[in-house]
Amino acid sequence: MRSMIYILCFYVMSEAYGQDQKVIYQYKKYEKFDLGNLEVKGQLIAPGDISVRERERRRFELDLFSRDNFDPFLTKDLESLR
Amino acid sequence: MNIVILMCFVFVSHFTIANEKKAFSIALEDKKYYFSALNEFFIETYNKEILNDDLKKLESLLYYTGIELLEDYDNHLLLKYPTSSTRFILGRKAFQEKKFKSALDHLSKIHPDHRYFPEGKLIEAQVLQAQNKIKERDESYLACQSSAEKNESSAQNDKIKRYYRMVFEICLINKARHHFKKEEYKEALSAYDRIPKKSYKWPYLLLEKAWVYYQMGDYNRTLGLLTTYKSPLLDTYFFPEAEYLAALTYFKLCLYEDSLIIVNQFYQFYRPRFQALDLILKKNRSSQNYFYNIMFRADEELIKEGEFVTQILTRMKKQTRFSLDFNAIFKIEQEIKRIEQNENKIIKEKLVPHLEEVRSNLLTKINYNAKTDIFQFLDTIPFISQELYKLNLEIISKKKDLVYFNKRLIADRSRGDYSNVTRSRFEYFWKFDGSFWADELGDYSMGLKSNCQTIRNEKVEEESL
Repeated sequence: MRSMIYILCFYVMSEAYGQDQKVIYQYKKYEKFDLGNLEVKGQLIAPGDISVRERERRRFELDLFSRDNFDPFLTKDLESLR
Repeated sequence: MNIVILMCFVFVSHFTIANEKKAFSIALEDKKYYFSALNEFFIETYNKEILNDDLKKLESLLYYTGIELLEDYDNHLLLKYPTSSTRFILGRKAFQEKKFKSALDHLSKIHPDHRYFPEGKLIEAQVLQAQNKIKERDESYLACQSSAEKNESSAQNDKIKRYYRMVFEICLINKARHHFKKEEYKEALSAYDRIPKKSYKWPYLLLEKAWVYYQMGDYNRTLGLLTTYKSPLLDTYFFPEAEYLAALTYFKLCLYEDSLIIVNQFYQFYRPRFQALDLILKKNRSSQNYFYNIMFRADEELIKEGEFVTQILTRMKKQTRFSLDFNAIFKIEQEIKRIEQNENKIIKEKLVPHLEEVRSNLLTKINYNAKTDIFQFLDTIPFISQELYKLNLEIISKKKDLVYFNKRLIADRSRGDYSNVTRSRFEYFWKFDGSFWADELGDYSMGLKSNCQTIRNEKVEEESL
């Protein structure tokens, strides 16, 4: 029985010690691509006409002052009399 | 019995005192001290029952003094004297306070033969306009015009004739303005055209007519009307809005360079001067007489910043309001002089302080009106500056569009041609030979063709290929 307890204590201690240890992950430092070896399957064609289609440009028109009444002038004229 | 005797004594003594007082105001009137007599009249009558004779007397005094003095009087006091003059003042005050019902009530009681009837009708028309009673408004304008014409023909001197002519013209112009608001441009123009060129109002109407033509799309006529302000005869009439309208019209014709000239001129020449003036005038904002004084002798500091203030003041001096107030001050000064020369010490001490006070009040009123007019004018500058700035941005934007679409305007600066001048068979036609002639003023039209047509920039395209 006593030996069982010793084994159990030993196990628990070793588990606790194991948790404190840092795990180090190491990534690949570099990966080499041999572009010369790459092969794209398809047809080789000459560069074509690259063009941008004319599109309507969005314009923000400012609201310019355009007089549509002379209301302030009515009062001003009346005030000019006396 | 004793009580009855005592009551009789009180009544008789009271009557005697009242009669003495009354005699004093009549005595003053007999000596043609009208302003002093008016004051005494109110002292004598304000706490008594007002009789018809009192009202007649008040009207006769106001005929000489004018009603300007009563503008500061309490409404309750004026209501005690139901004359056409007091009703006119009360109606006018109510209109200013936007109490339209009360205004109509007072104005409708002005007698049709009274001298303030035409002006009363003018105010009444504006009240009805505010209430959107169009038919009644037009009737009031018609009554205003016919009564003003009638009074003008029977007026005894030129000043009074001018006053009625002014009332007549304002009624007519207001009708034109209402047509403009309803987009009835032809009707508006025909009303404006009834104002003769020698009228005081005529230079102001050039701007309004220019707007009418602008809204009709007759840009050449707009520019022609605005050119009239460049005439030496009209050099006192400078309106920032006219500069803006000219720039806007050139913009509509796609004459961007012409438009930019006006914008730049405003920014480089006018705006700094207006800002300098604003600073000088603001220093004297609280003064009680600075603006009154500069009406007669312009401040050296102001003259340095340009002629604008002098020009505004010249325009103000032509107003009926100024003429009436200044005339009242002149009459009061004459009355003070005569009292000082002819009356004894007791009378002088009784009358002169009141007259001095009235004079001072009128002076403050002129000072206030001058200040308001000048600052109202200067306050338009930031608004016009802002609108010109927006216009400048629009021009840049339009020019960018041309570059973007690889286009250019049909001509760099399209110049005029007679074929572009539109005119009715009633409109005159003269060629402009570099000088302004009085009979031509207001009838100018440019002959510019719209430059808004664009063409493809072929050369640039070829180069790019």
